[in-house]
Amino acid sequence: MAEMQDNKPRLQWEEAVAVASMALLVLITLGNVLTRYLTDESFAWTEEISVFLMVVMTLAGASAVAQRDRHIRIEFFLSRRMPDGGSRPRVGLWRFGVLATSLVFMLLSALLGRWVWDQFHFDETSMGLGLPLWWYGIVLVPLCVAIAVRAFAAFLRLANASPDGGGGR
Amino acid sequence: MIAAVLLAAFFALMLAGVPIASALLLSALACIAWANADAQWFGLMAGPQNFYSAIAKYPLLALPMFVLVGSIFDRSGVAQRMVTFAIACVGRGPGLLPTVAILVAMVLGGISGSGPANAAAVGGVMIAAMSRAGYPAPFSATVVGAAAATDILIPPSIAFVVYSVLVPGASVPALFAAGLVPGVLAGIALIVPAIWLSRRHGFGARERDLPRPPFWASLRGAAWGLAAPFLILGGMRVGWFTPTEAAAVAVGYGLFVGIVVHRSIGLRDLLAIFREAAEISAVIMVILGAAGVFSYALNTLGVADPIADWVRAAGLGSQGTLALVLLALLVVSMFIDGVSIFLIFVPLLYPVAKAFQWDLVWFGVLLTLVVAKAQFTPPLAVNLMVSCRMAGVGVESTIPWVLWFITSFLLMIAAVFFYPELALWLPRHLGY
Repeated sequence: MAEMQDNKPRLQWEEAVAVASMALLVLITLGNVLTRYLTDESFAWTEEISVFLMVVMTLAGASAVAQRDRHIRIEFFLSRRMPDGGSRPRVGLWRFGVLATSLVFMLLSALLGRWVWDQFHFDETSMGLGLPLWWYGIVLVPLCVAIAVRAFAAFLRLANASPDGGGGR
Repeated sequence: MIAAVLLAAFFALMLAGVPIASALLLSALACIAWANADAQWFGLMAGPQNFYSAIAKYPLLALPMFVLVGSIFDRSGVAQRMVTFAIACVGRGPGLLPTVAILVAMVLGGISGSGPANAAAVGGVMIAAMSRAGYPAPFSATVVGAAAATDILIPPSIAFVVYSVLVPGASVPALFAAGLVPGVLAGIALIVPAIWLSRRHGFGARERDLPRPPFWASLRGAAWGLAAPFLILGGMRVGWFTPTEAAAVAVGYGLFVGIVVHRSIGLRDLLAIFREAAEISAVIMVILGAAGVFSYALNTLGVADPIADWVRAAGLGSQGTLALVLLALLVVSMFIDGVSIFLIFVPLLYPVAKAFQWDLVWFGVLLTLVVAKAQFTPPLAVNLMVSCRMAGVGVESTIPWVLWFITSFLLMIAAVFFYPELALWLPRHLGY
């Protein structure tokens, strides 16, 4: 978890989205504290935005992490050597893991898209601000697709890696 | 039938090394579709809905905020100043530098909420210092990794935030208060073997000749950092802000200290800090979303209640069952990352805890103790991995030392198990 400090100079677009969401979350929460003490008013409506930004940050961050194939997993069996005693890591299991990630997030994207379509179709509005729900949902679909695409790219990288080359990690 | 397949599929995928979030989602969605074969869209629309609602909870906002606080204080330069001040307090002598490392980890635990961030902050200062004083690198790495485990017990704690989101009826302030006494006891449980081992093996003999920093000057240097736990915990206690707001205030305070006071954070670092925090949070929260879908599947397929009935029918009684659950988790936690343990097992164990009427705050503290111990127990040992990488030694080299710390920590878990008041006295006294 704490090993994500490889300082690349440029941000991917998902990383930029995740960083911006985090910064906005801090500003909104701090702003809430300040306004409450200065004006005795509370901005309950910001909760809806904050909660949405958290989901955006989660999906965007998950996509950036999928790119580097660093999602939390049990590496106990992955890091075992092959029974023939060779030094070859279990590339097959790594491939399976990223492929499964790619497929399941593709499925989730499709379902999410269908859900957003329903929200649009039935004119559903949010509880707090009364905004159309699909305004929120439509942002999440591409982020979810991005996770699937990044995982698939990691799969292709692993598939092209030479069998003895350490599995591209 | 489907229920058994759900659990079996998940554990098989997880053991095969599929990322935990994907394993949870894949097994849950497959079983939902199987159970609702004749429904529209196979009942799968519950998938994105539960994924979204598991993350979109306002109290959860405390999690990314406290992760960010950890990343900021990691680089703010307060750790070095706290170490200097702690040395000025406890003095120089064999076993005292390890003690300083543990004390500083505990104070930083009152600021940040995650073990690995703490291990990085303390290790960055202490591992080099301990090596200069003649402590062997595997021993130093062990001390730092174990010391950082107190972080998730001493409030604020990311583990408690996650537990509170999963368990209705255990509030964040109550859990935070309940973690304080066990957290301090855990620190003592680590200081004892640290001093004893240093004396027995004559580590740190050179330490006696090193200069002792002046008390008042080092207090002035450390004051900004030392004030942070009082701001965070005191502010929550007095009711100035909620846990989430306390974290946001701590972010502002940490940035001010790092950028303006200690000048250790530049604009470039700011981007790296926010990126790291956003991604660490995302990795946890995407599992949380997937666990939301999984526990929806558990509930609609009716898995959890049969397990609870089955456990109750086993006739071990309340204490026996709890002991067995904790023992099982002690083993499992050696292989599964801490927060994931909560996300996978708390939904399964919640009906059991309800059936036996375990105090949910106490149960949360016990689970967190187990997870804290796992953070420095090889092979997984997330904290130890961080400290070993900094010390340039392999995790296996720590085994002769870390076993002593693990034993001592287990005794401390047993104490909280047999004397629940250790955890429950403070929250009751404070009226949560």
